[in-house]
Amino acid sequence: MKERTEILASGFGGQGVVRLGQIIGEAGVRQGLHVTMLKSHGTEMRGGYVRSQVVLSKDAIDSPICESPDCFIALSGAAYGQFRHLMPKYGIILYDPAFVEEISQSLDCLQKAIPAKELSSKNFGSPLFANSLVLGAVARLVGILDKDIVVESILRVMPKFHDENRRAFQIGYDYVG
Amino acid sequence: MTAETQRDKPGKTDETMKRYLETGNFAVAQAAVMAGCRAFCGYPITPATEIAEAMSKLLPRVGGYYVQAEDETAAMHLAIGASLGGMKSMTATSGPGFILYADPYGWAIGCEVPLVVLNAQRVGPVSGITGAPGQGEFYLSRYVTQGGNFETIVLAPGTAQEAFALTIEAFYLSERFRTPVTILADQLITDGWEDLSIPETEEEKRLMGLKFFERRAHPGPKFYPPTDEIDVPPVVLGMGAGALCSDWTPTEEGYDIETVEAQHKHAYRLIYKIRNHKDIIMRSETLFLDEEPDLVVVAYGTPSRVVKTAVKRAHERGQSIGMIRPISLWPFPEELFKSRATYLSVELNYDGQMVREIQRAAPCGSEVHFFGKCGELPTVSELQEVFDKLLKGEPLQRRGWETEAW
Repeated sequence: MKERTEILASGFGGQGVVRLGQIIGEAGVRQGLHVTMLKSHGTEMRGGYVRSQVVLSKDAIDSPICESPDCFIALSGAAYGQFRHLMPKYGIILYDPAFVEEISQSLDCLQKAIPAKELSSKNFGSPLFANSLVLGAVARLVGILDKDIVVESILRVMPKFHDENRRAFQIGYDYVG
Repeated sequence: MTAETQRDKPGKTDETMKRYLETGNFAVAQAAVMAGCRAFCGYPITPATEIAEAMSKLLPRVGGYYVQAEDETAAMHLAIGASLGGMKSMTATSGPGFILYADPYGWAIGCEVPLVVLNAQRVGPVSGITGAPGQGEFYLSRYVTQGGNFETIVLAPGTAQEAFALTIEAFYLSERFRTPVTILADQLITDGWEDLSIPETEEEKRLMGLKFFERRAHPGPKFYPPTDEIDVPPVVLGMGAGALCSDWTPTEEGYDIETVEAQHKHAYRLIYKIRNHKDIIMRSETLFLDEEPDLVVVAYGTPSRVVKTAVKRAHERGQSIGMIRPISLWPFPEELFKSRATYLSVELNYDGQMVREIQRAAPCGSEVHFFGKCGELPTVSELQEVFDKLLKGEPLQRRGWETEAW
């Protein structure tokens, strides 16, 4: 197994970027892994992007920084531009084309569009469940995560709309299949 | 032979313990209550606000008190008052509040009041940046008040789990040494989220290596013995002879006096009760020092985690490198700097603070260098560049405003 798995999520304030990181981290703890999660806030939040950096590992984690993300969840064009250079060849960028309009053709890593906002609006009449959709995709693409435990963690961290969140997760999971 | 050693590291966890994804702030509040803290007096400030918030919820459930003061000076005076009344007490802040503790901190040192103080360092000077980590109070935590003639005890956690263990340790040491103990954390420790194990049973606490010390009350009449002894119970007002607790030089019975002889006796006690029992306080983690590496990297708190990853990777590549992470910062662990080597201090400030102490401690013929970041952590890749340069004997070059100036 890889020594550590790094998941970076970034977007605007209010998109639930910190919540995304928290759910992935919660799933890590429930899977018995070591977890760190740094959130950038303060001036950065007003200046352009919010960032969650999650590291998961079977061993104690030293550096909590995502320097070579296995998965980068890009939820804004600014965030995509800011962090794409970190991506190693083996990494995956998951981006929502509603926010990331242009993607670079010069990256070596895999880039996958997940139209989470659109799919959420279509299925539930609201963009509210976009993050659960994204988490479905993340759970499928990031090897270390256990699908059922990610769902449990969503329900634990977000106490409302359990049915919708469960369904949204499955839509995201199927979309990247 | 093990390449990695950790002296008396608190915070070993067991698989069966209750685990959380939580912040260092949560960890500190849980630990304080477990250690017997029953009074928290504070003034909220980022990034330590959640400690105050958690204490305001936790303390009333265990018969304790949360007191929100009008400012930090009042907060620490109130915490001292609670301790003099016989309760274990605590306060928590960040740099802008820590400087306001200077006056009451001196009072607590002089009157030998057990107390725990947490400082979650952010970027300074003054208000600086609220939501970003700094390490600007290394020396301030040593020279925390005016007048000299004292030593301080300062502990620096590197993870939320260690913040939990060191908070309990801080209460333990403050009772035994009869002095305030500072936990010098940083924004990423208090506000960062991590997996955290909290012990619930006595067995789990023992397994984690946690030590507890009950509050006692000095029976009098010799409240201030002119010796270096520890485990002297603190003054609790209204107990025993009701000693005075003013900010003047005390007689052994606790009355105010202004003679040079009495001051010498008191100062001797404040300095040597700590210096002569340093072994009880000392904690550190080292990597590969038994290989007598050419380059020894030194860091404490959150940056030490990135340094550790970078040092391990450099070592794997065959570089002659080791690491020192002081966990107890004051008294400074100079005994760790025994071998002649190139030392590199990595700190979250640009002026270079701990590097000066390393220069003092390192043997003749050593080189001492500095790499400072502030408001953000260094990365493994930029640390590797610095290691490569130093191991080749090349000078470190200025990178924009990041310079070796100190």
